[in-house]
Amino acid sequence: MRWSIRRPGFWQLVFLVILGSGLYSTVVRFTGGLGASTALSDAFPWGLWVGFDVLCGVALAAGGFTISAVVYIFNIERFRPIIRPTILTAFLGYLLVIVALLFDLGRPYRIWHPLVMWNPHSVMFEVAWCVMLYTTVLALEFSPMVFERLRLHRPLRILHVLTVPLVILGVILSTLHQSSLGSLYLIVPEKLHPLWYSPLLPVFFFISAIALGCAMTIFESFLSYRAFRKRLEIDLLTDLGKVIVVALAVYLVLKVQDLAGRGALARVFEPTYEARMFLAEMMLGVIGPMLLLGVRRIRTDHFGLFVSALLVVLGFIMNRLNVSLTGMEASSGVSYFPSWTELSVTLMIVALGFALFGLAVKYLPVFPEMEREVAVPPAVAVLRRPWIGTTPLILILGGIVFFGALGVAYSGLSYRERALAAPPRLEEEEPDIAEGLERLNIPPDVTFPQGEGSPGPVTFRHASHINWERPDCTVCHREPFRILKVEGDASSRPARDWHDARHCGRCHDGKTSFSAQEECAACHRP
Amino acid sequence: MGSKKGLLFDATLCIGCGACYQACKERNRLPPTATHFLEDRLSDQTYTVVKRRGGRFVRQLCMHCEVPTCASVCPVGALEKTAAGPVIYHEERCIGCRYCMLACPFGIPKYEWRKILPRVRKCDLCADRLAVGRPTACAEVCPTGATKFGDRQELIEEARARLRAHPQKYVPRIYGLEEVGGTSVLLLSDVPFERLGYRTDLLREPLPLLTWQVLQKIPNFVIVGGVLLGGIWWITNRRQEVQRRERQERGPDSGEPPHDLPEPSGSPPTPDSTDSS
Repeated sequence: MRWSIRRPGFWQLVFLVILGSGLYSTVVRFTGGLGASTALSDAFPWGLWVGFDVLCGVALAAGGFTISAVVYIFNIERFRPIIRPTILTAFLGYLLVIVALLFDLGRPYRIWHPLVMWNPHSVMFEVAWCVMLYTTVLALEFSPMVFERLRLHRPLRILHVLTVPLVILGVILSTLHQSSLGSLYLIVPEKLHPLWYSPLLPVFFFISAIALGCAMTIFESFLSYRAFRKRLEIDLLTDLGKVIVVALAVYLVLKVQDLAGRGALARVFEPTYEARMFLAEMMLGVIGPMLLLGVRRIRTDHFGLFVSALLVVLGFIMNRLNVSLTGMEASSGVSYFPSWTELSVTLMIVALGFALFGLAVKYLPVFPEMEREVAVPPAVAVLRRPWIGTTPLILILGGIVFFGALGVAYSGLSYRERALAAPPRLEEEEPDIAEGLERLNIPPDVTFPQGEGSPGPVTFRHASHINWERPDCTVCHREPFRILKVEGDASSRPARDWHDARHCGRCHDGKTSFSAQEECAACHRP
Repeated sequence: MGSKKGLLFDATLCIGCGACYQACKERNRLPPTATHFLEDRLSDQTYTVVKRRGGRFVRQLCMHCEVPTCASVCPVGALEKTAAGPVIYHEERCIGCRYCMLACPFGIPKYEWRKILPRVRKCDLCADRLAVGRPTACAEVCPTGATKFGDRQELIEEARARLRAHPQKYVPRIYGLEEVGGTSVLLLSDVPFERLGYRTDLLREPLPLLTWQVLQKIPNFVIVGGVLLGGIWWITNRRQEVQRRERQERGPDSGEPPHDLPEPSGSPPTPDSTDSS
């Protein structure tokens, strides 16, 4: 747990490797298409790029609207010191979501189409508009950091006036699209596993986004603290920890009620892949963090807060992946695991996020300079707290939750293997076609007029070319034998080439049936 | 403009000759994709297949829903239910999000995964042929009448007549009459539809209602949310203003006013941090 800056060589190397493989995958994606670069298929059209990059990306950026609402709308000024880093995180998050979309869309150059081609009945249309508008709002909320740096006072004054309306707009837009990402799945009641499909999907997505936004704020504060030796607003973060507990409690109660109401509660404990993944997700993201943050000693401890926030982040990443991947697998009939191209592009996008955050902190006034001196000596403070016993407690609790969830998920994977080994198949009995044969109405005879040098006209009879036990039109009607009615008289088609292997000669080759080349009189009857 | 067109497929009459499969390939100029048509499956190059299931031959093709899920989810309106019945695809609008594929309850839309600039592909009920008064290619070539083309309403009457005439033979149900709000392709069978690979647990209502119930609340939500948030801001802001004024009034007497403030910075609170520059 030694973050960048301290040992620049190693982390720069990691970044370069990720960037390199990501760029290579980018080339593969845009020269070979989605088929060549992803594990997606007709049965599984949405994969990691939607499940992680978009669903998680947007949710992880939720700190932007929660913290700005707290500061500007509720006027709780204490939180002002952490507003800029959360706005920055959110802004970068949305930019990267858009980058990910450019990878995922089949026709990325048409990403602007929803602006002019409207379909208000589509959740995706709403999400597209909200994300676009909110990214604009975030850009405006972020811009003071740039203007301050450039010492441009006029735009700062304008933005100052606009702040509250912008924040209100941002909160509304965020509420709409955070929940709408859940609404996307409302339309697949027969495809998404009942552990996740619920009419309350938008509500779950919204509440979890709030918890996730707070958790990300804590997480990113700690990273900045380690990497850039920024002051840690531990009191604020502890309060955010409390908010997380409340949000998670609401989430948990709603979840249990919803499952019970739909009669799906028993399915949680079934020995299935989905149930185990669901349990792991709930342990990791909901129950574990509530347990940890519920203890005051842990909540007020640097390391404890960090571990709890990390669990929430991991748990809800798992939740989004479960909704988009795990829960959709069974109904699709195929198994999906992202290709290395999908993985490396995703990694690259995450790494870009970290790098851009680092650059912004370095060159922009992201963290307000405080008159007060840094309260605790940085770097060593995390592990050397005076609270003897707290760190082991966190390690034990966090370890139980993390490895417990890991074990549960692992057992789920073994059920998946078994389910995949024996895929349900639809029976293929020999069909009974007696009734259809009674109605068999074969096309009329076709008479081809006598051409030049032809020994006589040819009359083709479907009746003599059909296997009456099992008529199979496609034996003959492949490419050269047109099946649709030709405009005008069928017999007016040109007579050349009929003898060769593309037409009559295909079967009339002397082996399958008599030869079209030699036994002229068999067809040509004067 | 006439009434909505559709297809009636009767599984008891299908002899599995593959004429519909081949005619579809011919009409759409699609390359061969399987050694035998019974082994093929729907893809970007195959818009209809004949399957051997449950002791019957059964077709699979776009159902052309009355309220299509695909058209409802498409953010750019690239899929459209036309007045004549077909659900058609406007290639030039499509951004390639593939939500239609995820959402379709019948798993019909397929994607050109191998192409750099892919399109969604599916049966369009031969919309161009319908426009000039011809039946779909598959119905035109069907030698037994298993696939029948006509006005949807007349086909429903026809299906009901068949059910009445042979009540002991058929499963007493027209598949597609009510499924997800009704489809333009209707099915009759003498074996249960699930054995043919058709889901019988689909909702009776159109699926787009599920999302529309949420989406239609948005305008109200924006208005109420805006007013509510604005109101909260006004109250909290006013409260702070009052506090500030009170402090100013007793300012010189009380000694060190900034230290009473909850915020760490010494300057009075303002709605924005930009004043720090």
